[in-house]
Amino acid sequence: MPFPLGRPLGVADNPEFQRDVLRSALQLLETATEPTIADYPHEAPDGNGDGVWACSIELPTPEMSELESSVRTEVDLLMPRYQEARRTRGRTTFGMSGATVDQIDKVVSFAIAIAEGSGFEQVPAVASGPNWRHRMPMLVRFVAEDLRALYQEAVTSEAGSQPPSQRDIHTWIFQETALGRLLKQIGQQITDHDDPRLRLMRGFIIPEGFWEGDHAFGGVPAGMTTDEYVRSIRPYLIGENT
Amino acid sequence: MVRLDELHPEEAASMRNAAPRFGDFDHDATPWITPPPLAESTICLVTSAALHRRDDVPFRFGDSGFRLIPDDVDPNDLVQSQVSVNFDRTHYQRDMNVVLPIDRLRELHGAGEIGGVSPVHFSVQGASPDAKTFEASAADMANRMRELGVDAAMLAPV
Repeated sequence: MPFPLGRPLGVADNPEFQRDVLRSALQLLETATEPTIADYPHEAPDGNGDGVWACSIELPTPEMSELESSVRTEVDLLMPRYQEARRTRGRTTFGMSGATVDQIDKVVSFAIAIAEGSGFEQVPAVASGPNWRHRMPMLVRFVAEDLRALYQEAVTSEAGSQPPSQRDIHTWIFQETALGRLLKQIGQQITDHDDPRLRLMRGFIIPEGFWEGDHAFGGVPAGMTTDEYVRSIRPYLIGENT
Repeated sequence: MVRLDELHPEEAASMRNAAPRFGDFDHDATPWITPPPLAESTICLVTSAALHRRDDVPFRFGDSGFRLIPDDVDPNDLVQSQVSVNFDRTHYQRDMNVVLPIDRLRELHGAGEIGGVSPVHFSVQGASPDAKTFEASAADMANRMRELGVDAAMLAPV
């Protein structure tokens, strides 16, 4: 299934194509007589679409000096389209952090506090209320993802429009929105933090190619394999110990 | 799966470095099983998109466990605790079937192309640097599938 990562059935809202992908995979059960690799012969109908998509919602140019108000303005502008998408689709993917969308004010407050240096040890005091489902510091990553979910569901709400590719959406968020600036500022707080174990989480918030400097994930200490390093810092990142 | 040359060069390099480790698995002792004809087979889905119901324990980073997803799950009850930011979520956000094709499986059943749909599907978190950590979960899932009368599983890899 040679489709972009994250889309094993190829394309959204195309039952016929999805059925064919599924049918093709299952039919191997009737034809294969030994472990078999077979390529699905068709590309996804929308291809990868890089560079074709443009956001149809006009957002003001974000001001770094007024990051919080810029993010809140964007959220206010996007919310009607998000709600429309939610009604149309009958679902939302918002809520990975544990917050509900009517707690978006707390979600923004959380992210702003982290970006302004409240630290990665405790949930910021201004963000009390939601039933957060992850511990610090990894909770920061899921708060970031919930904000992205709201933005992405809003801008893909137009039925029949050319959907953005992964690259399109990353480029839009990190080059054109205050949210992107907010996430980069969180990335800078991670970079400046005393504990270098935190840097792996930067790569869970900022995609490769969008962090200016070293690799988004940081590096692996000399003498350790990636597996060894990840295994050693996992308890810290998920808040099981420090 | 996605082609390596369509990934960001950093991700592709990471995957290439990881590839030799998959040779560590021993398949020689695993017999080839010929399932019943598709029209008589009950099929189960396994997604590695780290989907789970909102009230389930979320997947933690490095979590090699699995979560159960009922076939009649309300799509709005599903969230995704996948830690990686380096894959396309926009299609999943529009249509759950892109990573968990429950509706498509039911349609194949309705058309008589498959014999049945498992009452439960399975979800794991695919972004793990060490595939061997999934061995225990895989055995547990296989046992549960047997108890459910499943003949074959379809993995939707994310």
